[in-house]
Amino acid sequence: MKITRQVETDVMVVGGGGAGLRAALAAAEAGSRVLVVNKGPIGKSGITLTAAGGMQAPFHPDDSPDEYFQDIVRCGGGIGDKKLARVLAQDACERVLDAERYGARFIRNPEGGFSLGQFPGQSKPRNLFVKGGGVGLVAALANACRAHPNITLLDDVFVTGLLTSNAGGKPAAAGALGLCLRTGELVQISAKAVVLATGGCQWLWAVTDCPTDATGEGLVYAYRAGAELVDMEMVLFYPSVIVWPPSLKGAFVHYEFLAEDVLDGNVYDCDGRPVLPKPLPVRDEAMLIMARAIQAGKGQAHGGLHWYVGDSPKGQAAVEKKLDIAQYNYIKAHGVNPATDKIEVAPGAHYLMGGIHITEECQSTLAGLFATPECAGNFDGANRLAGNGVTATQVFGARAGAAAHRWAAAQPGHAVDAASLAAQTERVARKVASKQQAAIKLQLLREQLRSAVQAYAGVERDAQGLNRLAQIAAAIEATVNQATVPPVSCYNQQLVDLLQLETMCTAARLIAGSALLRQESRGHHVRRDFPQQDGQWCKHTTVAYAQDGPVFGTRPVE
Amino acid sequence: MTEQASSMVARVFRFAPETAGMGHFEDFQVESTEPLSVMALLAKVHEIDPTFACRTSTCFKGICGSCLVRVNGKDVFGCMTLVLPGETVVVEPHSKFKRIRDVVVDFSQPLAVLERGGEQ
Ligand SMILES: Cc1cc2nc3c(=O)[nH]c(=O)nc-3n(C[C@H](O)[C@H](O)[C@H](O)COP(=O)(O)OP(=O)(O)OC[C@H]3O[C@@H](n4cnc5c(N)ncnc54)[C@H](O)[C@@H]3O)c2cc1C
Ligand code: FES
Repeated sequence: MKITRQVETDVMVVGGGGAGLRAALAAAEAGSRVLVVNKGPIGKSGITLTAAGGMQAPFHPDDSPDEYFQDIVRCGGGIGDKKLARVLAQDACERVLDAERYGARFIRNPEGGFSLGQFPGQSKPRNLFVKGGGVGLVAALANACRAHPNITLLDDVFVTGLLTSNAGGKPAAAGALGLCLRTGELVQISAKAVVLATGGCQWLWAVTDCPTDATGEGLVYAYRAGAELVDMEMVLFYPSVIVWPPSLKGAFVHYEFLAEDVLDGNVYDCDGRPVLPKPLPVRDEAMLIMARAIQAGKGQAHGGLHWYVGDSPKGQAAVEKKLDIAQYNYIKAHGVNPATDKIEVAPGAHYLMGGIHITEECQSTLAGLFATPECAGNFDGANRLAGNGVTATQVFGARAGAAAHRWAAAQPGHAVDAASLAAQTERVARKVASKQQAAIKLQLLREQLRSAVQAYAGVERDAQGLNRLAQIAAAIEATVNQATVPPVSCYNQQLVDLLQLETMCTAARLIAGSALLRQESRGHHVRRDFPQQDGQWCKHTTVAYAQDGPVFGTRPVE
Repeated sequence: MTEQASSMVARVFRFAPETAGMGHFEDFQVESTEPLSVMALLAKVHEIDPTFACRTSTCFKGICGSCLVRVNGKDVFGCMTLVLPGETVVVEPHSKFKRIRDVVVDFSQPLAVLERGGEQ
C-alpha cells in the first residue's frame, strides 16, 4: 500500500464528535482552513451521540463559576488540575450560548430561562438539557461546520497515525495518515497543527455503554508520537449497563432512577435480594457495592444484577411516564419493557478521565499537537461530575481550535519529516497482503483482550491481575502484529479491525502500567491491595513512549 | 416452534464496487436463542465472515441513523428492528444512499464536497 493522495490544510481535526466539531468552528472562525476527519459518518458515530444531553453551566442566579469550580475540584479527588477546572467553570456559560448560536436547543423553563436540574455533587442547580441529547448537539455543530466556508468534513477516513516534522531537531505534529474507507486510498494529510478529538477507549472493556468506535486511537497515536499521557488508570464506571439480553448489550438504564424520590427501585442478586442500601448511595459507592456482589457469586445468569422498578411505590403510571424517553423506547423496541421487566445490568466503563496531558490552551507536550475532551486528561481527576463531559467538549473544544489556529498561523509551511512518513506508511502497508498466512481470528483475540481488561482493570484491581493483563495484552499484540488482511480496495473493514486491535492492545498495556503504579485507591481507581487513599499519591501518573517500552512516572497536580 | 429455535438466517446483500455486477445475496446462519436487532445480527455476520462490511457504531437510542438499512424490502432503523430465532431476514443497503460495500452506504454530503478537501 502506498500513499495515493495528498491533502493540505492549516488545522486538521481528528474526530467529529462534540469536541472536534467545536474545535473546528473555533479554528475556522479565527481564519484557519480546517479539515475534520472521522472514521465513521459524522453525526452517526462517536460517544457524544450516546450522551443523555446533561450539560453543566453556572447560570442559576445563586450560582457562580467559583462554586462550580469548587465542585469540580472536590469531585476530582485532588488530582484534577485546578487551572483546567478553573477554565472549565469560567468558560462554561459562554460556550453554552455559543452552542445555542450554532443551533443546539436547550430545554427552557416557562419563564424562558434555561431549565436547570441539580445532580449529585452539584451545590446549585446547574444542569442544562440539550434537546435531542448528544445527537442534537452534534447535528447542530455539524451543520454549523458545513455552513462554514473554511471547514471541510470528511466521513469514513480512518486515521492510522500522526505525522511529525523535525525542524531544527524539534519534533512537532505535522499531520496524519488517513485511510479513506470509501476509496481505499492512503491519504497523506499535511497540517500545520493537529487537534486530537478522538474520544475515549472504553470499548476495551467487555462491559461498556460506549459505541464500538471508542477504541482509543488518538491516545495511542499521541503517545507513539511522543506526547505524554496522564492518569490512564482513571476510568469511570457507570453502575447499570445492560449485559443481557444480548441485543441490548451496552445500552444503560439509569442508576439515578432507583433513588427514593425518583422511582425507588433497586438492583437484585440471584437470591432476589436488593443489593443497594437506601438512601441510595452515590454513583461510585453503588458501582463498588454492585461489583462486589457480582464478584461474591451473587450475580444473575449473565454476570449482572437485576435492575427493577416494576414494584415502584410511585405506581406503574408514574414509572411509564418517567421511562417514556428515546432511551427507554429503544429498550422497548427490543421486546423488553423496562417498566415491568427485570433487566440484567453490571458496572461498565463509561468515561475516561485520564488521557493526553494538556495545558489551558489544550496544548499537549508535543508541539503543534492539541487534544480536546475525552482523549485529553488532567482536567477531571479521579472522578467526574454528571454533565461535565459535554460542557468540557465545548469549553476545551473552543480552546483547542483557537490555540491550533494560532500555532498554525505562525508556521511558515508544511514540513512532514520523511522518516515519520515512511514509518507510518509502513505501519499500514505491512498489514495488507494478498497471500494470507494461517487465518488469525481477530474477533476472538479482541474478545479475549476485552475480557481480560474487564477482569483485571475493572472496578477493582490488584497487582497480580494488572500484571496478568499487561502480559495478556502484550501476547495478543505480538500475535496481532504478525496478522495481515487481504487488500480490499474500498471499505476494508478488516484492516480497520486489525489496526484498532493493535492500538487497543497498546492502550491496555498503558492502562495496566498506570494502574499498577498508583498504589492507592482514589475515586474510580480501586485497588484491592491498596484500599486506602494515600496523600503521597496526590499527583498524576504519567506514561511516555520510549524505544524499548513505555516509561511510567508521575507529575505534580497543577 | 420459534420458541425452540436457536438460530436465525441473515440473507445479506453482498456488493463490491471493484467487481462487476449488481451484487448478490448470501445466507448466514447466526446462532442465537435470543432475539437480536438487525444491527446486532449484522455485527455477528461480520464476525462469521470478516469480509462482510456493515456499520457497528450505535447511539443506543434509535435516533442517530447509523444503522439505516433495508430489511425485507423496507427502509428501517436496524437497531430498532428485531429478528426472532427461527426467522430469516433479507438485509440490503438503505435505498436512499449511495452504496459503498455490502450494506454500508455513504451518509455524507455530496461527493463534490469531498473534492474540496484540498487535493493537489
Ligand atoms: C452513555 C453515555 C451517556 C453520557 N451522557 C452524558 C451526559 O448526559 N452529560 C455529559 O456531560 N456527559 C455525558 N457522557 C460523556 C460525554 O458524552 C463524552 O465525554 C463526550 O461526548 C465525548 O466527546 P468527544 O468529542 O471527546 O468524543 P466522541 O464523541 O467519541 O468523538 C470522537 C470521534 O472521533 C472519531 N475517531 C476516533 N478514532 C478515530 C480515528 N482513528 N480516525 C478518525 N476518527 C476517529 C470517532 O469515530 C468519534 O466520532 C456520556 C457518555 C456515555 C457513554
Ligand atoms: S444506531 Fe443510532 S439510530 Fe440506530
